[in-house]
Amino acid sequence: MSGTDQGLFRAAVMNPAAAVPSSLRDGSGRPAGRRFAVYRNNVAVSLTEALAEDFPACRALLGDETFRAMAGAYLRQHPPASPLMARYGAELGAFMDAAPQLSRMRWIGDLARFEFALRDSYHAADATPLGAETLAAIPPESLPERRFGLAPSVRVLRSDWPVLSIWRRATEAGAPQAQPVPEDVLIARPAYDPEPHLLGPGDAAFVDALGAGAPLGEAAEAALAVAGAHDATAILTLLIQTRSLTEPEPRP
Amino acid sequence: MKTNKAVIASAFVAAVSATAAATPAAAADNVKCFGVSMAGENDCAAGPGTTCAGTSKVDYQGNAWTLVQDGTCETDSPVLADGTEVMLPDGKMGSLEALERDLPMDS
Repeated sequence: MSGTDQGLFRAAVMNPAAAVPSSLRDGSGRPAGRRFAVYRNNVAVSLTEALAEDFPACRALLGDETFRAMAGAYLRQHPPASPLMARYGAELGAFMDAAPQLSRMRWIGDLARFEFALRDSYHAADATPLGAETLAAIPPESLPERRFGLAPSVRVLRSDWPVLSIWRRATEAGAPQAQPVPEDVLIARPAYDPEPHLLGPGDAAFVDALGAGAPLGEAAEAALAVAGAHDATAILTLLIQTRSLTEPEPRP
Repeated sequence: MKTNKAVIASAFVAAVSATAAATPAAAADNVKCFGVSMAGENDCAAGPGTTCAGTSKVDYQGNAWTLVQDGTCETDSPVLADGTEVMLPDGKMGSLEALERDLPMDS
């Protein structure tokens, strides 16, 4: 097919109202006709299935029918930008934020971003965490100037909604009802599966500063700027326990 | 900001000793074992942008791996994470490194 034909083909695949490209022929040289409709339907169905599998909490809370209708609209506005299905759905959160039909569930976009971050963390590269001996051997007086790297699987999510509690309620039997409080979440992958952890006020700023290459002292100040009485012990314990601290990137 | 610097240093030291006291051994219980997966049943290292779980093409493919219990990989009967023992045929053994044997013909 020529480039123009490919463009027509793609547009017709993603738009159920578009005409079948007239240059398409079947094996006997006749117009492709309904064969094309079958193909078009398979593309939409398989992308919908991918989204339904990848966003189980969103699907559980929206209901299967609503979720699939939403997925049908999403896949036409955001066809895959990469052949890797593991990357599909990155914009689903923003898409649902903007969907007027979902305006009563204003937290649904954060939930989609959370589910995508879990999957993204799963597919991130492995890293070598700093071991307990290495960490214990750092002279305390040099700590405020010490920089660290974060494992590529670490994700930080800030939410105005109780996104972690909503996710647990949707995916775990017996999880308590979510309370109406904002929740920041750290996703870390200490072994093979990503695990979400609830963060305290200021912790997200602390982790983001470390990840951006700030030394410990500056990260602590970034956290204090957000939460006046921030104590870094809990977040540092979490980062070490989840094997998230690595050697920093070499600085130019 | 001298006091803040002292505070962050002691927070770090406290965090290190808190985790040293309770080092989880769970991560070391299973290891990646090459050359023991049945075709299409391998796990995946999930490098950047890959989805390779279940992509091995031949049985016991040398560059595909499955999680097995630590200490059982380099034998002819590795034990899977769920406790199932795999009996490898023809004197084959698992390996902690990728192997050259049993690679698919087209790769």
